[in-house]
Amino acid sequence: MDICFTSTCLRVFSPNGSDEMEELINGLVACLSLVNLVACFSGVFLGTIVGVLPGLGPAATMALCLPLTLSFSPATGIIVLAGIWFGAMYGGSTTSILMNLPGEAASVITCIDGYQLGRKGRAGAALAIVAVGSFVAGTIGIIGLQIFAPILGTVALYFGPAEYLSIVVVAFVLLSNLATESVRRSSIMLGLGLWLSSIGISPMDGVTRFTFGLTDMTLGISFVPIVMGLLGVAEILNISMETYIEPVLTKVRFKELYPNKEEMRRSIGPIVRGSFLGFFMGLIPSCGFISTFISYSLEMRLSKTPKAFGTGMVEGIAGPESANNSSVMGAMIPFLTLGLAFSAPSAILLAALRMHDVEPGPLLFLNNSDVFWTFVAAMYVGNIMLLILNLPLVGFFARIALVKPKILIPIVCTLCLVGSYAVRNSFFDVWVMIISGVIGYFFRKWKYPPIPLVIGMILGPITENNFRKSLKIFRDDWFQFFDRPLAVIFLSIALAVIAYKIFVYLKGRSAPSGVNDF
Amino acid sequence: MTRKDFNGEVILKWVLFILGVYIIAGALKLGVGTIGEPGPGCFPLIGGAVILISDIFLLLEGRRDTERLFRSRNELKIFIIMAFAFSLWIIAMPLLGYVIITFLGTASISKVLKLEGWLKPLLLGVGTTLFIYLLFGYLFYIDLPKGFLS
Repeated sequence: MDICFTSTCLRVFSPNGSDEMEELINGLVACLSLVNLVACFSGVFLGTIVGVLPGLGPAATMALCLPLTLSFSPATGIIVLAGIWFGAMYGGSTTSILMNLPGEAASVITCIDGYQLGRKGRAGAALAIVAVGSFVAGTIGIIGLQIFAPILGTVALYFGPAEYLSIVVVAFVLLSNLATESVRRSSIMLGLGLWLSSIGISPMDGVTRFTFGLTDMTLGISFVPIVMGLLGVAEILNISMETYIEPVLTKVRFKELYPNKEEMRRSIGPIVRGSFLGFFMGLIPSCGFISTFISYSLEMRLSKTPKAFGTGMVEGIAGPESANNSSVMGAMIPFLTLGLAFSAPSAILLAALRMHDVEPGPLLFLNNSDVFWTFVAAMYVGNIMLLILNLPLVGFFARIALVKPKILIPIVCTLCLVGSYAVRNSFFDVWVMIISGVIGYFFRKWKYPPIPLVIGMILGPITENNFRKSLKIFRDDWFQFFDRPLAVIFLSIALAVIAYKIFVYLKGRSAPSGVNDF
Repeated sequence: MTRKDFNGEVILKWVLFILGVYIIAGALKLGVGTIGEPGPGCFPLIGGAVILISDIFLLLEGRRDTERLFRSRNELKIFIIMAFAFSLWIIAMPLLGYVIITFLGTASISKVLKLEGWLKPLLLGVGTTLFIYLLFGYLFYIDLPKGFLS
């Protein structure tokens, strides 16, 4: 490819976006290096396997691979990790359709109509629609990322501590109130995450906090073993104790992977709607996951035959799976542009970039724009790879789901143990992983969600930093805070959500009956 | 498959209560500073307060139906063995090295999970050890303890 010629042409035809196009082309050239191509393929391939396997989710797998990515450049590292995340969204639908077994939590909704389509002999068509829908949604998501991220990154240069603090507060409030069953339990986990993040040396004072006199604790508790423990080891312990029931696999031949014209026509609208819905919901803290449910509800409302949902409606899989995939890209925007992660996978990406001494946020576009554009280009390439992988190899991936836990669990256990050691070559981290895994098992059984703890831990330092700075800045005149309109808006949103929750709680208490878990 | 689990979650709630109190006490000892000049204990105080206040609401909630931690003795046995195996892995690794401990650990865990025969666990142990060596030691040059083999 002649870069000079292409970029010159682009300047003529798109003068305003020519710099970005040039950067994207440079990113594409960097992405097409052998190392990055192999990294991209490895990530999406592993991610698809992880998506197919129930239990070990993308976050735990990304945490496991994090120490390995440190050997590479920052761009290569996040390509692998993001590939795992993206691939898992593709893979989760395979077992949903073929076995009525969601590989990922986000693919639960696909089981409803996907499996029924399989029972009607249309599993191949369903898989093809999901793959194509995921590809389209992924492309729309990446385009959205490419357009919005640099803009938001530029705007974020004007953000001060007050804005960052208020965004984080909104994220915490939404996380506790929207994405989980119990506000109280989520709040406890969030508080635990914030406390754990403060262990070690205080960055602003140099004082040691809650180290219990242990030298290892002085460096703080590493985020990666905690994630591996809570999301990986706890899940392994849970699966070890479950009685294994071999799933029945619906067989699909390659030549059956064709939806008919009617199915394609019906899936176009849901794919487009799901793509945009998922992308914008991915931007909102903790809402990426629920985008699939909202998409399903939306398609049901728009359908002329809503009662047919649940019996094998193409719209019931096309929309949610598209939302699922594009929400991944939406969720990347806050993490890349603001340095704030609102989900476990993006928290790991954030940790990965920091370990590479690349600080995500507005300065990413000034100091390390090559990392961003290589990453964007790799996502385009990865999206194509996933489409190619997921159709002809669907039988192979489905068979992976048939691997018995008694074979898989010992391998995953060993990987977790070695992986957590490899983060800092420290046995202390392995102990942290095991203890958090055991405690995580108890939390899981008693419905204490682990994600708020993970988010609290990764956002804790930035929250404290901005909190203390804000207090210092506004100590002389608190009314100056109202000169920061964005901060006021975000905090108002947080207060509104809290007020609404209190209102619902009080209304529930005064009603004769009703479920009310505040 | 639920029953009132008094001994389980209530204990956790009280542990969280004590933890919340401990964190707040520790934060106050560190010094929370003033509103204009927050000290090192200020942020942990917030974390501790969130835990304590939310936990008080949970304690006031009282009992609720919860899933049993272990539905049978066999589950409890597996849990204890797995936790013990993990701990033993860490303790024995510096002495035996990752090669031997990975082989033994993988084979043992697969037997605990009732993988049939002895050949399969042994092959699984060998395969996993080789995979770990290739991935961590050979491809990524991550230095793993070799124990007496070093």
